[in-house]
Amino acid sequence: MAEGSHSTAAGAGPWSAALRRLRRNRLALASLALFVLIVAFSLAAPLWAVHVAHTGPNTTHTLAKVEVDGEKRDVVDPTGRPIGPLWLGAGGRFFLGADGSLGRDEMVRLMYGGRVSLFIGLIAALITTAAGTVLGLLAGYFRGWPDTLISRALDVIWAFPVLLLAIALGLVLAVGGLRIGPITIPSGSIWIPIMVISFVSVAYTARPVRGEVLSLREKEFVEAAVAQGVGPARVMFAELLPNLWSTIIVFFTINVANSLLLESALSFLGVGVQPPDASWGTMIATGATLIRTAPLLTIVPGAMILLTVLSLNLLGDALRDALDPKAKLRLEAHAGLAEPEGTPV
Amino acid sequence: MSEPLLSVSGLRVGFATEGGLVQAVDDVSFELAPGEVLAIVGESGSGKSVTAQTIVGLTRSPNARIEGSIRLGGEELIDAGPDQLRRVRGERVAMVFQDPMTSFNPVHRVGAQLTEAIRAHRPAMRGEEARRRAVELLGAVGLPDPELQVDRYPHELSGGMRQRAMIAMALMLEPEVLIADEPTTALDVTIQAQILELLRRLNRERGLATILITHDFGVVAELADRVLVMHEGKIVERGDLDDVFYASKDAYTRKLLGAVVRLDRAPPLRAARQEAPLLEVTDLVKHFPVRRGLLFDREVDRVRAVDGVSFSVARGETLGLVGESGSGKTTLSRTVLQLLAPTSGSVRFEGEEIAGLSRRRMRPLRGELQMVFQDPYGSLNPRKRVGQIVGEPLHVQGRASGAELRRQVQELLERVGLSPEHHDRYPHEFSGGQRQRIGIARALSLRPKLIVADEPVSALDVSIRAQILDLLSDLQEELGLAYVFVAHDIGVVRHVSDRIAVMHGGKIVEQGPADQVCERPADPYTKTLLAAVPIPDPRETRARRGSSAA
Amino acid sequence: MGRFVVHRLAGMVAVLFAVSVLAFLVFNVIPSSDPAQRMAGRNSTPQLVASITEEWGFDEPLPQQYLTMMGNILSGDVVSYANRENVDERIVEGIPATFSLCLGAAFLWLLFGVLFGYLSAVRAGGALDRALTVLAVTGISIPVFWLAAILLNYLSYQTGLFPSGGYVGLTEEPLEWAYHLILPWITLAVLQVGFYSRVLRSNMLDAMGEDYVRTARAKGLGERRVMTHHVLRNSLIPLVTLFGLDVGVLLAGAILIEGTFGLDGVGQYAFESLKGLDLPPIMAIVLFGAFFVVLCNTLADIAYAFLDPRVKLGGSAQ
Repeated sequence: MAEGSHSTAAGAGPWSAALRRLRRNRLALASLALFVLIVAFSLAAPLWAVHVAHTGPNTTHTLAKVEVDGEKRDVVDPTGRPIGPLWLGAGGRFFLGADGSLGRDEMVRLMYGGRVSLFIGLIAALITTAAGTVLGLLAGYFRGWPDTLISRALDVIWAFPVLLLAIALGLVLAVGGLRIGPITIPSGSIWIPIMVISFVSVAYTARPVRGEVLSLREKEFVEAAVAQGVGPARVMFAELLPNLWSTIIVFFTINVANSLLLESALSFLGVGVQPPDASWGTMIATGATLIRTAPLLTIVPGAMILLTVLSLNLLGDALRDALDPKAKLRLEAHAGLAEPEGTPV
Repeated sequence: MSEPLLSVSGLRVGFATEGGLVQAVDDVSFELAPGEVLAIVGESGSGKSVTAQTIVGLTRSPNARIEGSIRLGGEELIDAGPDQLRRVRGERVAMVFQDPMTSFNPVHRVGAQLTEAIRAHRPAMRGEEARRRAVELLGAVGLPDPELQVDRYPHELSGGMRQRAMIAMALMLEPEVLIADEPTTALDVTIQAQILELLRRLNRERGLATILITHDFGVVAELADRVLVMHEGKIVERGDLDDVFYASKDAYTRKLLGAVVRLDRAPPLRAARQEAPLLEVTDLVKHFPVRRGLLFDREVDRVRAVDGVSFSVARGETLGLVGESGSGKTTLSRTVLQLLAPTSGSVRFEGEEIAGLSRRRMRPLRGELQMVFQDPYGSLNPRKRVGQIVGEPLHVQGRASGAELRRQVQELLERVGLSPEHHDRYPHEFSGGQRQRIGIARALSLRPKLIVADEPVSALDVSIRAQILDLLSDLQEELGLAYVFVAHDIGVVRHVSDRIAVMHGGKIVEQGPADQVCERPADPYTKTLLAAVPIPDPRETRARRGSSAA
Repeated sequence: MGRFVVHRLAGMVAVLFAVSVLAFLVFNVIPSSDPAQRMAGRNSTPQLVASITEEWGFDEPLPQQYLTMMGNILSGDVVSYANRENVDERIVEGIPATFSLCLGAAFLWLLFGVLFGYLSAVRAGGALDRALTVLAVTGISIPVFWLAAILLNYLSYQTGLFPSGGYVGLTEEPLEWAYHLILPWITLAVLQVGFYSRVLRSNMLDAMGEDYVRTARAKGLGERRVMTHHVLRNSLIPLVTLFGLDVGVLLAGAILIEGTFGLDGVGQYAFESLKGLDLPPIMAIVLFGAFFVVLCNTLADIAYAFLDPRVKLGGSAQ
């Protein structure tokens, strides 16, 4: 005598529905494609360096000459001006020109810099998202003193103007490296900016997660779990966490975007990635000194950051819409509930 | 024969959704005579609300298709432009909605929202005059101290007062028609009775034609002159109040009327139980501290949710716990099951004290005492499959796993009237009634001796309620379960309970055998509660009103 | 209300204390080099290092050093390690530039953020909305220091439309003051306009689906009144809280772009001090910054309580 249920296929779960919606969103697919393209571009760095440019990212060519259309030209001329973009004129060498008086190949640096920036961005975002989720879960589920402890600690980090703290930590660690007990991280290591960015960004994820956990825990299915004798750990990870995944995923993409921006800011200021290593941020710093004569050196790395962060933000938006489609439908429908002939502003 | 005030003809409203075109209203026609109360009654999804809201153009949107004719005293409204609609809304047709808390803007004062209505239509009116009218109307709808209330914010008023204020707001411009969309659904029974009384008075004294949208036949019997019954977008029955109730020609209507649980119809008495009590609660207290302080939070007051409650439940018996919102019944049900730690008092299950037990000590007992929850949409984890949800207790308690677990879960699903293949589906694929069945299956999985059912049918449609209540009763017979049935609807409670306890203000004010409490109540609150329940029977209702109109 | 203010002030003091301790720890506990060593520079001799240590008290226990430094900062007596000038004075000198930058940018981004957000929401789904959304998302994706360099190059160096930097006091020449600040204002505002417009849009679309908006329409209110008095009014409230939090963004922006635009403000000072690991100015600026962040958060909370009568001042929520 069972009443019929609606679906034809068993297990038409929330995830497959979200995936379907995502596939239909052209902007989302375009952003994803752009991001993948940029990642591929950066991963191709060694290939370009070895086979096309025949040079490394940190190799200087101050006194070298390069052959262009049969003519030999200085990579760096006697006044210190670097050569401009040769595009394919020298077989791909100095595609974007040289990056200053050190004569390094800008294109090679751009690709390697991408590897560094993306690596830092992704790993820092992973750490931030994971730590933020755990802290948010603990604070939101237990409330009481764990919540007070975690929330106050987050408040202090939050009150410290974020960039100042990141700069301070970055500076201090860049100079001396980090030593916690047996673990030593040398000062030039890429892990220093990763740790710094994660530390200052945790609050940004932990608070919203905590907020969601606070409202989720009031739902009856959580009470039902407790009524069955389920312990707190299992409630948090088997009952609450599955309902947080959409938030976590969206936050992850946003965290990557923010980490990238923060890394570039820190590197620009000299307290992130350390010279001579390339990162898009350090490249903007070197380029800015030559902006009047060689604007491309500044524009290109910044544009790379812009495109990467833009594609991530658009993707994050699309993910949010795909995972909570009712929100978008409701929104658009109600905006249209205003008079159909258009609203006077 | 006077001209009808409102004439709806061939109304069709369809919405384009992700899954195709949904026809919410399918060829609906009716008329409203001046001064009459027309009730449109139906279950959720019947199209009654959409019909009402379409009259004033509130359902217009890019993905809505609206056809037909709506004539209000000579004006055609179906394709009215924005200015015309604006004029009609509030001035000729006013609406009162279901939830007064969310229907008022929380950041503006009540008075300002009332005067705003009149100033929009009569811009020449001076502020003082508008305010005076607001105060006058707030008094007319029965608000005490209207001069004070007019400057309050909506959240500072109680639920009943807010709904009165909403009605006052609707009356600001002396409309010809009042549409009340489920005006009392969100209110307690005693408050509901007052609001219905107010609406009746307004209708009689001002000749205010009223369209009443509701799912509750008791409300219809209290107020309506004529009735329309809607089902899946169509009108399936129409007629005068008595005709529809006593001489219905439509099968669906008869089925619906039959399914309505009535307070004054006692179910057949069950054999009195002489067993030893399974659950004994003595002087149970649950207080919530209210903390305030300058630097450190100190306790300044307590919310006495449960304030010294005692009762017992025997094996195989059903104890009904009745109370309105704020009575403490929800807190009580949670505290008895040790989902909340009691402040003081004793709870003995099969002779053993369980009050204040640690989580670990309580764990093995969890199987004996289970709960069925109210909200079919919130009580099942949306990210888990049905099989996981129902099997979780068994899994957690280590009683079964793997293929054996699956088999037991499928057995449980069949027992509650679902099919084994539902094991791998997600909750969102099921209707409200089916989800409650899943919740019941989950509660049964550990073979409990006692189940606390917290408003298990309140969120369900009338026709489904009966099915779920029948299911619960069958299971009780089959498995010898004891129930504590918590609800605010004393009619439903009477239908299922052997004994009834009435809760008010954190205490039990009366308890005893069901028919004794319902027919010969001793406590004044119980009497008020019983008198407020609307009876879905017009003759009875008139008799009651006649005898109390002294 | 009084209880609320006291509560908040106490909280503020506690947070500032924690922040100062954190800053002190970051600079004194983490680095594995000796501050006296750093100050002595390249040509350090053991005697030089020893005398510096004694003069500045680096050999005292950490808590003592902390107290001494805090005492100096609060009494206006701090002297920089690097060039021995008075820190508090230099900060005060830098305030006009930084405030002009921050307040102007904030005003711009609020104005345009609300305007674009309102337009997007009211015409949601339309072409204008889509265009504004793309602009908004692009805005929040731009590295602000890069934008500063680009704008400076193309709008100042190459075309001479705007001055290339420097700060002119408001009281001296108001027009020049604004003229020199336009590029920096735009740079900072671009980032946040996008963010605010999207938040407002989202809030407004949520509000439009609320019951009280339906009631407002049912009363026969004109669409404009519904949009302004009900939808916008309610949607602005969360922005107030957001704005309090964004003071930190303003300060960050100041640090990043004051140098590029030659504005000799607190941000520039911060950057120089950090480069030189110069602790006294850093501590002072950190406190200065944290003070403003907490102050603005508190003001935002108070404003929120005024705008939303459901929020009860004082005591903690249940």
